[in-house]
Amino acid sequence: MLELRNLTRAYELGGERAGVFGVSLDIPKGCLAVLAGPSGSGKTTLLQLAGLLDTPDEGEVILDGEAVSGLPEKARCDLRLKRLGFVFQAFNLVPVLSALENVMLPLQLQGVTEEDARGRAEAALARVGLADRRHHRPGQLSGGQQQRAAIARALAPDPLLVLADEPTASLDHAHGGPLMDLMAELASERGVTFVVASHDPSVIARAHRVFRLADGRLVPQD
Amino acid sequence: MILARLALRNLLRQRRRTALTLMVVVAGFLALSLAGGFMAQTFQGLSDAAIRGGLGHLQVMPPGAMEGDEAQSLEKALPDGEALAARLRQDPAVAEVLPRIQFMGLLSSGPRSVAFLGTAVDPALEPKYMASAEALKDGAKAAGGEGSRWISADPAAREVILGVGLARALGASVGSSLTLMSTTRDGALNAVDVDVAGLQDLGLRELNDRFLTVSLATASQLLDAGPARSRLSVVLRRPQDTAAEQARIQALLPETSVKPWFELASFYRQVKMLYFAIFGFMGLVLFLVVLLATANTLLMSVMERVREFGVLRAMGLQPRQLLVLLQWEGAFLGLMGSVLGLTATLLLRAGLNALHLQMPAPPGTSHGYELNIHLVPAVYALVALGLQATIQVSALFPGLKAAQLRIVEALRHV
Repeated sequence: MLELRNLTRAYELGGERAGVFGVSLDIPKGCLAVLAGPSGSGKTTLLQLAGLLDTPDEGEVILDGEAVSGLPEKARCDLRLKRLGFVFQAFNLVPVLSALENVMLPLQLQGVTEEDARGRAEAALARVGLADRRHHRPGQLSGGQQQRAAIARALAPDPLLVLADEPTASLDHAHGGPLMDLMAELASERGVTFVVASHDPSVIARAHRVFRLADGRLVPQD
Repeated sequence: MILARLALRNLLRQRRRTALTLMVVVAGFLALSLAGGFMAQTFQGLSDAAIRGGLGHLQVMPPGAMEGDEAQSLEKALPDGEALAARLRQDPAVAEVLPRIQFMGLLSSGPRSVAFLGTAVDPALEPKYMASAEALKDGAKAAGGEGSRWISADPAAREVILGVGLARALGASVGSSLTLMSTTRDGALNAVDVDVAGLQDLGLRELNDRFLTVSLATASQLLDAGPARSRLSVVLRRPQDTAAEQARIQALLPETSVKPWFELASFYRQVKMLYFAIFGFMGLVLFLVVLLATANTLLMSVMERVREFGVLRAMGLQPRQLLVLLQWEGAFLGLMGSVLGLTATLLLRAGLNALHLQMPAPPGTSHGYELNIHLVPAVYALVALGLQATIQVSALFPGLKAAQLRIVEALRHV
């Protein structure tokens, strides 16, 4: 489903060369894959390349059989809108919108009618256990609730692939574990592919596949 | 419409800052709209003064009448002005035609003589269409003006109405007997004895010092005018059609020169140009203030939402849609500012007009006037459009800045 072919993206960080170098990997449909590694290992950079948020210096991103990393910006926007979902460490919900409106947002940007978007957003919020908090704004939700709303936002448009960058890093263990269980369930239940960047052992423990990175390179698996 | 909703919510996010920006927009709207209403009052006052001061809506005159001075009375005249007036009165667009003779000479009271500028008018028609009665009413308040009345319509009566300055120079008052001296059309010196029927205050000191009015019959005797008239003042049934009627009547009377009042009223044109220059500059400054205030607000708003824009872009929002989002924010700012500005304008206008404030006499005039700021919907619409355009322009730079953000950098922004 997601193939990364010899991806390289280099940049200067504190006077040193950082990024990812020659990374290749395959992630099948419905898989909960974890990109593991210490800070600065290139997890976030790889996730951003896979999510078409950045362009590789070399290599190719292949999504559902189609080479996408060289597409023009408008086509990349369209792919992100319709086929990709994102979950961030800091939740990044739009603060002026309620949980329901946040989940409706990508659907409405796609041109889905307000009525349909509302129905689909309510279903997505119900699936992540936030039906009764749908009219609350992000500031009125706990960290775990905000992250579940962010997952509902990523899932509402029925994406092929959800990319999550350190989704449990801002949560305590009591909330982080159940959140990963939810992602694992959704991957199995809906066939959505999750790629999670994390160095949290409880996240790695729930992964279907783990790719370890060190200094921007993939560490060979045993 | 989701972008519009998001824009509105964003404006409400920083209520105090939005309120301050709105105050700037409202102040701009208020200042420009009230200035527009004041200008409308002034222009209408000046145009009324010009039209009812004797010009009418159109003036029919001999060709070349505007070029150079007359060496003798009626040198530049409509040879059969009365017949031309009768012909024009048949025109359905014309309400009335007032023939006039303009002449000059000396006015004597015993040993004292003063040069004058005279106008001869039809004593029956003139008060119906021109502001003679008002000028007479004001003249009656001047020294020697008590008992002022309009000149008699009797063709045998020989009466004069003097400007208050002219009366003062001669020591004349209502009832005084004076002698008018001028030259006839043939260049012969002639004189007519007249009684002062009244004094008039024309509002301009220079006119009051030189101006007098007599009947056409009196002037005809003095100048041996016959049917000749200097000009015809044409009063139209539809004043708003003045420009079109000028062209039509000019085509009907090719042997004459037909001029609209606004081409002849030089004071009106000068004041109009002066006001446009003053208020145009003021408007420019206000638009600049609004531009900077809203650009600052929107730019601050962009800088505070860098990460949010990164998230929106990650979700698939295109750069141009961020530009549109900022344009919506500007649109709402402008719309709210104009609605509040209009409300404030209408309230303040009503309050100021209710105070019946007396404005000082404009330079060169002898009358003050009551402030009556006009209601001018066209000005309000123009100001609203101008402010809206200014705000949309001010939203361009913040919008471009947002649209140019790199997603990965925006997501890292703290």
